[in-house]
Amino acid sequence: MKAPAFLRGLVPVGWHEFYVNLRSVRMLIMIIVLALIMVGGAYGIGRGSSAGGPSIAPLVAWVHPAIGTSGEHIAVAWVSDPFGVPLPGATVSFTDLSVQPPAPLGTTSADADGFARLAVGNRSSIGITVRTGNAESGSGVFFDRPVENFTVETRQEALDTDSVPNDLGVHVLGRAGVPVAARLWLNDTYVKDVDSRGYGRLELPLGPSNVTIEVAGENQTRAVFTSKPLPSPFFTIGPDFVLLIMAAGFATFVIPIFAVVVTFDAISKERVQGTLDLLLSRPASRVGTLLGKFLGTFAAVALPVTLVNLAGIAVLTAVSGKGPTGSFALAFLGLSLLLIAFYIPLQLIFSTLAKTSGTAILFGFLVWLAFNILYPVITFVLSSVLFPNSFQAQFQFSQVVGLGNPSSIYTQLVTFAAPEAIRFSFGGGSTLSLTAVASAALVWFVGMLALAMWTFQRKAAE
Amino acid sequence: MDGHFVPPDVIEVEGLVKVYGRKGGTRALNGVSFSVPKGDIFGFLGPNGAGKTTTIRILSTVLAPTGGTVRIAGHDVHEDPMAVKERIGVMPDEVSFYPTLTGLAHLQYYASFHGIPRAAAKRRAIDLLGQVGIGDVARKKVKTYSHGMKKRLALAQSLLHDPELLIMDEPASGLDPQGMRYFRDLIRFLNGKGKTVFLSSHLLSEVEQLCEHVGIIDRGRIVAADSIANLSSKMSAGAPIILRVTAEGITDEAIASVTSISGVTGATRTANGLDVTVQSGTDVGPDVSKALVLAGARLKELKTSERSLEDLFFALTKGGRV
Repeated sequence: MKAPAFLRGLVPVGWHEFYVNLRSVRMLIMIIVLALIMVGGAYGIGRGSSAGGPSIAPLVAWVHPAIGTSGEHIAVAWVSDPFGVPLPGATVSFTDLSVQPPAPLGTTSADADGFARLAVGNRSSIGITVRTGNAESGSGVFFDRPVENFTVETRQEALDTDSVPNDLGVHVLGRAGVPVAARLWLNDTYVKDVDSRGYGRLELPLGPSNVTIEVAGENQTRAVFTSKPLPSPFFTIGPDFVLLIMAAGFATFVIPIFAVVVTFDAISKERVQGTLDLLLSRPASRVGTLLGKFLGTFAAVALPVTLVNLAGIAVLTAVSGKGPTGSFALAFLGLSLLLIAFYIPLQLIFSTLAKTSGTAILFGFLVWLAFNILYPVITFVLSSVLFPNSFQAQFQFSQVVGLGNPSSIYTQLVTFAAPEAIRFSFGGGSTLSLTAVASAALVWFVGMLALAMWTFQRKAAE
Repeated sequence: MDGHFVPPDVIEVEGLVKVYGRKGGTRALNGVSFSVPKGDIFGFLGPNGAGKTTTIRILSTVLAPTGGTVRIAGHDVHEDPMAVKERIGVMPDEVSFYPTLTGLAHLQYYASFHGIPRAAAKRRAIDLLGQVGIGDVARKKVKTYSHGMKKRLALAQSLLHDPELLIMDEPASGLDPQGMRYFRDLIRFLNGKGKTVFLSSHLLSEVEQLCEHVGIIDRGRIVAADSIANLSSKMSAGAPIILRVTAEGITDEAIASVTSISGVTGATRTANGLDVTVQSGTDVGPDVSKALVLAGARLKELKTSERSLEDLFFALTKGGRV
């Protein structure tokens, strides 16, 4: 099939650009940079956000009052991590809280099973502090009421990945301060026995529940309640929010750099190394040649960017336990391509005009700087000078002025694509209509490509 | 019709003007006209900055002319560049290629512009690389090539699509004597196969050996375009002639005797004898030999010196700023 005359040269030039660029050293460097930022960001922020919610103490002191053989009070501490694994060797300090200032009674180390015990005579308020490394936790033991046949300590936390505080740790000791066989019931249903150190964990249903601890036919029942974590009034931390940070925060900066680095000398290099005349004397139209340059470099950048983005989404899904909203992820992939398509024609214009490699590099850097730093800063300054008293007006002004900036158009489109719940969390949530922003995108892309063709036609050989 | 076959002109350039930049910019070409008949090897000469490269870039459809017309094989370079591009093979002065591609990959890339199918393009590329003598490095990256190898690759790429006109800018520059000879023989061979060659060169002896017709450009104008023989005789008309005398035993008396001959304007000793400057249109050869013999000199040879292309070039370009 023969290409129409005005497009001749598109296919050979396109393939050549794609092939040469994909094999270049700078491509490899940019892929590494992009992967570090996008995949690393997905991992780092994704992990951070999924571990959010109530913080979990690294060690827990389960403290119990106990009675010795001759009737003396014994303060007992069992030291474990939040999941009930004992921490032998933890430092345990006992303090008499009934005097002012509190008087230290002694310090010991938790034994192989994580237990520490101290006979405190007839003292009735004992403070217990446990330490491992830098972590410290404290609690108190009180003998103001008679000690029952067995004592129970509970902690309700969000220990697994569902982010719901429905994990109930239960620790049971006999009156003598040693583990006893105990059966755990949840809402009148037997669940399990505690382990040899007296620990057991139950997963509670949402709403109210009764937890019953049975030791030697004697029961104690605790009423507990499990609620959903309250939704944040502004946004929900989750994979969608992380993807929004990746798209509107990282990609806005790094994808244009990628496009600029690959394209800045697409034409000037041919001129400098002397291959341009040989290319222009071939049976290829100027329009076909320029479009070939565009499509070749676009594909060469789009392919690795899409692969890295997909890897970022995969890593985000893995660390968060669930993926971002499908439509948002797809929009992110597509809008990344749009961002590439914005910057390449712009670079082709400057690459046509640049007579030396140095000028081409300078133009490339300035283009990136102009749209990613200068333009937003100037817009911000102008908006605060023009509308000193209205944040709303400043916001609207910067969005309207932003339609002249490809990076800003991209960010606005990203916020349109983001799920409604998080849309406003990133300075986004355009005050403009989607039609307006999408039209600006179209005008930018088509206008720049047409200008690139015009410049190439006029200036390529001069 | 006089019954003679007059071959059509492959290159017709008329009133060609090129101004760089906006109005008032550099006027590189200022009304250049010449033509090159089919089957010719046409030498294109001029000092640096005369407009040679600009002319070649316009002929190659790389640069658009500001004014005038250029037709190649009957097609206007501006109106129908595609038809022109199909018919020309360009070997630029700067032999520049993509450093990380192999010689073979270059030819395959360039062949793809000419619509040559992939398999045929590869065969043709391998053949051509062998023909120009770099078949053994066909699969090596161009950055490992010597200057001579690059020149050969440049030649191979210009021949890929079997063009009828070869435009060669300084094909022999930077080559060793064997390389220059190779190129000279190859140009003759290609010309023998019917290709017209437009040859721009600094090497006047090269042009003299290869070309029948030359065009000399200076300061954006053609100062001469004709066969070397015609130019030589035209230039000689009215100009003083040098008689080159080879003899032994030339005394001062002999010189005095020669300079007294009517029509002789001067005589200077040379290593082998004497150069006698004679006014154009006078035939004083017999008188000069007679005077020398009478003065006791042993005359071996006396001939009218021909003006070399170099003399023409320097005369026409006011000292030539090569």
